[in-house]
Amino acid sequence: MRRLINPDRVALTGSILGLASLLLGWLTLKPNRLAAGTSLNLSESLGQPGAMAIVVLWLLCLALSLVKLKRGRSIGLGITANILLILTLVLVGLASGRLLEGEPAAARVSLGTGFWVTLAATYTVIFAARRLLDGWHTWQNLVSFSGLVVLAFLLSVGWLNNISVMEEFSGYQQRFVQELLQHMRLFGISVAIGTVIGIPLGIWATRKKHAEKPVFFTTSIVQTIPSLALFGLLIAPLSAISFAFPVLRDIGIRGVGITPAIIALTIYSLLPVVRNTYVGIRQVDPAAIDAGLGMGMSRWQVFRRVEAPLAAPLVLEGVRTASVQAVGLATVAALIGAGGLGWFVFRGIGQAAPDLIVLGAIPVIILALLVDALMRTIVRLGTPKGLGGERR
Amino acid sequence: MIRLEQVTKRYGETTAVNQLSLEIGKGEVCVLIGPSGCGKTTTLRMINRLIEPTAGRIFIDGRDTATVDAEKLRLSIGYAIQSVGLFPHMTVFNNIAVVPQLLLWENNRIVRRVGELLELVGLEPADYIRKYPSQLSGGEAQRIGVARALAADPPILLMDEPFGAVDPLTRERLQAQFIHIQKEVNKTIVLVTHDLDEAIRLADRIAIMESGRLVQYDSPEIILSRPGSKFVRDFVGADRALKRLSRISVKDFIKPAAAVNVNQPKKEALASAAGHRWLWVVDDDEQLIGWVDTKTLMQSVSTKEAMDEGDAVKISILESATLREALSRMLELGFKHIPVVDDSQRLIGEVALGDIEAATAEGKG
Repeated sequence: MRRLINPDRVALTGSILGLASLLLGWLTLKPNRLAAGTSLNLSESLGQPGAMAIVVLWLLCLALSLVKLKRGRSIGLGITANILLILTLVLVGLASGRLLEGEPAAARVSLGTGFWVTLAATYTVIFAARRLLDGWHTWQNLVSFSGLVVLAFLLSVGWLNNISVMEEFSGYQQRFVQELLQHMRLFGISVAIGTVIGIPLGIWATRKKHAEKPVFFTTSIVQTIPSLALFGLLIAPLSAISFAFPVLRDIGIRGVGITPAIIALTIYSLLPVVRNTYVGIRQVDPAAIDAGLGMGMSRWQVFRRVEAPLAAPLVLEGVRTASVQAVGLATVAALIGAGGLGWFVFRGIGQAAPDLIVLGAIPVIILALLVDALMRTIVRLGTPKGLGGERR
Repeated sequence: MIRLEQVTKRYGETTAVNQLSLEIGKGEVCVLIGPSGCGKTTTLRMINRLIEPTAGRIFIDGRDTATVDAEKLRLSIGYAIQSVGLFPHMTVFNNIAVVPQLLLWENNRIVRRVGELLELVGLEPADYIRKYPSQLSGGEAQRIGVARALAADPPILLMDEPFGAVDPLTRERLQAQFIHIQKEVNKTIVLVTHDLDEAIRLADRIAIMESGRLVQYDSPEIILSRPGSKFVRDFVGADRALKRLSRISVKDFIKPAAAVNVNQPKKEALASAAGHRWLWVVDDDEQLIGWVDTKTLMQSVSTKEAMDEGDAVKISILESATLREALSRMLELGFKHIPVVDDSQRLIGEVALGDIEAATAEGKG
């Protein structure tokens, strides 16, 4: 018996969280957009059969996270979690239509705590499965992203249009696309600049003893400044500069807007890039460098042919960290008029409309996941053969 | 070939190498040895200018190395180090090809050369060229390191403890292979080690260093028989007589051995004993299979019945062995004579304990 039981802690946590989420309120029926509504439990929300199916699937997840089955279990776990996710979304779409029948036009169905906790729980299990499947990239990606693909499909066919978040979306459709692009522009430009500055800075820190401390002191200190404060701090000096040099105003450099946002995000991107570049170059076996020099390579050849390729995986890993972090931080940029998905979040806070907040927050999470996956692929492609466990 | 003139290297207050003069002839293996911190590695690294001397000059083929571009100089000198320093992201092929590529050799020539080198160091090219360093054993990596150093056929080879990072058994094998390779390539080699046995085994001349100074520079035989100072005497240790034996091949000490064929009649066998108490027994292929006591033989029916069987590998030594190995084997077996065999265990002759004693005594001084 003991041989059969080998719980995966993360998957177990996810499963228990998922089962617990079933006890919470799932959907809320509200007379209008802002009013408080009546919270409905799982079976009231999704109907008896649907609720039963979800309970059974979660129990299956729980069982799979307990037993020892190696790869089969990991795939089963990932598939079950994805089925749960898809089933939940489909049922929620169905339920919202049913609940709104005969209600006045202003009535809304919004998603309750139970739904969100379920969502978090399924992704906890998916994360566990992804980790257990380390090395099988195809399965990993299938498990990680099939839920998102189905979500995209459901959204595009309008299956979830009766959910209040989507009602908010239909009101802001154009704005949404605009802010989404702005968000991508914000983090994309900052990470690009951060990388272009950070890599040479990291290399410089490895080369000059006296550079190491100031570089890390500065980048680390900046990292501790709350993002909101940094955005705010930049307003005053930038305003002053733009007033002093009207030329700068003409090209768009002002105290508020995209300029301070990009500056702040760039500064935040520096630490991970600089740190990883530094560590990446430092961890290159000194014997390899000595051998290279001793064989007659120039300093530049040693850098280009030995140090750079060996440091590449860690440097790219730093860019990945910086990117994911910047996707999140860019949300705050809306506060200083830079736009981005944060616009919905702060507007939602201002109007006390939780669904508007969700409309901003969910895409940020999805964007972060996608950027993370993309960067992981780039890290993998940038890792030279012969390094680490990957042998082909 | 290589000449160091009054070379000094100072780091601030400390002097790593102090007015060192040394001359290494073409095709010679010069081993730099001494306690750690004696400056041997610094000396080695000054030859290819990985470290620039504070004072003094170093000549290679009569040319002052300071007047040559450092990178060009290094391209013409092979370099192998203890930790090997293979590039982990490059295949064995690309690791060996580094210098030829820097020298812009044609691709065909590089492919051919890498194959030759792998064969030279005893690795099957087809099995190894696509491997990555992480897939090699310590010994294999060391050999690739040596192959890489030899890639562009440099006349000079600098080696910093090239066999330092492997287990003793592998080290012995690598040393034997080193001697074999050196016979073939005949390079001028400067090798740093802290292992005296290694130095004695490999060197034509040993340079013993102490705190930055050269204290004695002589052949291993002379270092062992006539240490020039107390420091050298202490350094080579109390067993220097024994160490000397490892420089001497048994070849010159082989005497004809009394032997009988296992199928020879008893009478004939006893006749051929001619005063010997013990006889080696060989089979029809002249291969050593044991020994026989003439006293026992006299009381028994045949040689076969009287003989003590012995595994040739255990009771004999190869003609390529050293006197030290011969002595060690004798002490182990309690023999006063040890048979010498060739590669196929055929009896060639024997070496007597008395002769080894005489050889040891000769060197006293």
